[in-house]
Amino acid sequence: MSRMQRIARDAVLTAVGLAVFWIELQIPTPFPIPGVKLGLSNVVTLFAMFTLGPWDTLVILAVRILLGGIFSGQIMSLLYSAAGGLLCYLVTLGMRKLVTPRQIWTCGIMGAIAHNAGQLAVAVAVTQTPQLLAYAPILLVSAILTGLFTGLLTQFLITRLKQIFLKR
Amino acid sequence: MMKTRTWILLFSILLIVGIAASVAVFFGRTGGTVANIYQDGVCIRSIDLSTVDAPYDFTVSCDSGENTVSVERGRICIRDADCPDQVCVAFGWLADSAAPIVCLPHRLVIRIEKQAKSGGIDAVAR
Repeated sequence: MSRMQRIARDAVLTAVGLAVFWIELQIPTPFPIPGVKLGLSNVVTLFAMFTLGPWDTLVILAVRILLGGIFSGQIMSLLYSAAGGLLCYLVTLGMRKLVTPRQIWTCGIMGAIAHNAGQLAVAVAVTQTPQLLAYAPILLVSAILTGLFTGLLTQFLITRLKQIFLKR
Repeated sequence: MMKTRTWILLFSILLIVGIAASVAVFFGRTGGTVANIYQDGVCIRSIDLSTVDAPYDFTVSCDSGENTVSVERGRICIRDADCPDQVCVAFGWLADSAAPIVCLPHRLVIRIEKQAKSGGIDAVAR
């Protein structure tokens, strides 16, 4: 694969992640809790990690976070997205070699937990009120449920698309 | 590395613990009646909700916007805000839960505690 092909491929995934992120922003939140969301754009990140490798995933994630922050118009959210995304990336990276293809869903959950933990940490730091940690349990529950959903989604995507070769 | 069954067990335990803790937080009582309002980590106002007579509203401003706080006897809420996510408004009334009301874009936190944290306590309402 030439360099241009690689750039194009990563760009497509970034665009998909960005589109999913944007659409998800439009969905009204049923729960009045900050940080509870479906996290569908993590499907792209997880998918990239298991099919393209860590470097491409990092670039895709970084560009999507940056553009997502700019397009959504809230620069402050960049801090939260970056913290959550980075932690999620690191956890997924660590688990990459440790799980089998049929266990990719576990990375979905762990990544979601890491993501929420990162965002909660930033919220506590920004507002300087540790009392926000009261939200940790509900964020944990949300992460497990949404992470399971996105993780399974990604796993089915990868294991059933025969033309994609798993790179681990 | 780990068997799938172990993962399932791990997440099930985490889920149960999380749900239990969430219920505890949401239905737990702090045993206090003072609503402390924090802006950027600093308590800017304390209101003893048990001594409020007539309901009243007031506005909290910060560099990113405003929140309208509504106070009644025994409870407090953010009635209106110009922040983009409106999570703080959707929270509704806070009476005596361990969970705080948060407006993240405005870095505003309202919490029920036992002691007042700011200089003057609002003991009497208009």
